[in-house]
Amino acid sequence: MQSVIDISVIVPVVERYDDVAELYGLYKKGLEDSGKSHEFIYVLDGDFAGVLEVLKRLIAEGEKIKVIKLARWFGEATALTVGMQHSSGNVILTLPAYQQVEASEIPRLVESLNGCDMVIARRWPRKDSFLNRIQAGAFHILLNPVSEFKFHDIGCGVRVFRKQVAQEVNIYGDQHRFLPILAQKYGFRILEVKALQSKKDTGKRVYSLGTYARRMLDIFSIFFLVKFTKKPLRFFGILGSSLFAVGFLILLYLLFVRLFQGVGLADRPIVLVGTLLVVLGVQIFAIGLLAEIIIFTHAKDIKEYTIDQIIN
Amino acid sequence: MKDLSIIAPLYNEEESVKPLYEAIVRAVEPLQLDHEILFVDDGSKDGTFRVAGELAELDKRLRVLHFRRNFGQTPAMAAGIDHARGKILITMDGDLQNDPEDIPRFIEKIEEGFDIVCGWREKRQDKLVTRKIPSKIANWLIGRVTGVPIRDNGCSLKAYRKAVIQKIPLYSEMHRFIPAMASIAGSRIAQIPVRHHARKYGKSKYGLSRIYKVLLDLLLIKTLVSFSSRPMLWFGGMSFLSAFGSLTTFAIAIARWNRSEGESLVVLNGTALLLGALAIFLLFAGALGELAYKTGNLKMTTLADIRASFSGFEKPQREE
Repeated sequence: MQSVIDISVIVPVVERYDDVAELYGLYKKGLEDSGKSHEFIYVLDGDFAGVLEVLKRLIAEGEKIKVIKLARWFGEATALTVGMQHSSGNVILTLPAYQQVEASEIPRLVESLNGCDMVIARRWPRKDSFLNRIQAGAFHILLNPVSEFKFHDIGCGVRVFRKQVAQEVNIYGDQHRFLPILAQKYGFRILEVKALQSKKDTGKRVYSLGTYARRMLDIFSIFFLVKFTKKPLRFFGILGSSLFAVGFLILLYLLFVRLFQGVGLADRPIVLVGTLLVVLGVQIFAIGLLAEIIIFTHAKDIKEYTIDQIIN
Repeated sequence: MKDLSIIAPLYNEEESVKPLYEAIVRAVEPLQLDHEILFVDDGSKDGTFRVAGELAELDKRLRVLHFRRNFGQTPAMAAGIDHARGKILITMDGDLQNDPEDIPRFIEKIEEGFDIVCGWREKRQDKLVTRKIPSKIANWLIGRVTGVPIRDNGCSLKAYRKAVIQKIPLYSEMHRFIPAMASIAGSRIAQIPVRHHARKYGKSKYGLSRIYKVLLDLLLIKTLVSFSSRPMLWFGGMSFLSAFGSLTTFAIAIARWNRSEGESLVVLNGTALLLGALAIFLLFAGALGELAYKTGNLKMTTLADIRASFSGFEKPQREE
């Protein structure tokens, strides 16, 4: 199918959003400067009556905007996926619903896609508050061991990629942040391009404790997803067997002193610690084995490779 | 449908591609079978794909699959098997260590009625300490655990009937266990000695660190085998063991009930409770494992069905 549109712009409206009409104007100008034909798709993740109102007004004024409203809150990754399903361009540009990167950088970012499959913007120089910079730094220090490519600003929502990437990489829940990591795992070529940070993106942001906990869980899940999806037993196995080994050594030592030095065991709480570790080790190992059985019995449905090209 | 597909994964084998292609053609052409050669380029960083592509332009029987990045040897083999169009599949190394001259003997064996023919390297040309000894140990272990004494699980040169190999899950590094898995399911396996050459080009890509992985994979296979024959045996046995430990500790605690202090009762009963909890956990883990096994789309027994339906295997049609 030949498409007439070069770039599909997807703007997910999830939590944070700035003045919709103003931002739309900025983005539109940026895209017009790039000289590529484009379409705008706004995906509202839940009930954003105010945003919907503004978008309706813009449409009434003659702007070509596709608006998709999800029935309830599904998460940004789902919003993006739905947007991609409704897009018709060969290149997808995701833009946040708030000012993150100067819109004038859009043409340059789109241009950078030549020769790779995905371009992610890196806000540089950073103008955030010191606190936010520390938060971001810590996040990336934890995150980067997972991927081969060293990301500096994975929280930036400005990304340009080929439609193929969206078709092959499945994301859900909160995984939109990790789309580049997953894409890279599938073998797509990634490029990080420095872009000017928007002046309005510099305010101090402190999140709730729950948000930080969710981020940590995100890192854990992406770590597991990238490293051990195919071989969960390697992950659980090393954890389980080391716990088991520590517990076993404790019990062995206790057995030794009981048998050869006549020290009674019944009144030593360390017996409990040893047993607990052994029990925990066996349980974790068993969970790994279960996970592995699930993978094994479904292995025929899981393709582990991505083919780029077939000759003949 | 073709008669024969030859599958070779390639990773950074720029120099080997052309000699390999020529050797395969030399060995297979006299057989007069309708054949194809599949080269799977596992995301090589050198000119492997370019060289293979040039060859494929001259010969339509050569197909080249190009991976987007390096995924490993087993996924490369799996891709080759998924895309093969032959009734008989032959897999081999892409580094010229296997000799294509051996291929006709593999086809003879398949025609005799075997489902899988494994090669074993008679005079192996590899380093003793890092390659030969670990592989000896691994082969012995795999043979002991699965009960299928394959001499050389690591030899890539093998022949399969497509209907058999397609049912075997192939991911991560499971290629090592194909014969074991197939044999448990009732396939007929033959083993024949093959020639083995020292590497001419490039470097060996495998090291010593695989023992841990092999052990875990082996445990998985063992568990699955026990699921297919005696469900719950594995987890159930472990559960029984912990229950026994729990009851024993509890019995000691009761025996001492009157003459011991409070603290010792806590320790003994606590241990009993922990072990009891483990027993119950394992019982349910076993049930969950069975659930996964039963609802999964793969059962060891389906392989046996295929074997049965293939008993009347016809010889490949030869071209006149």
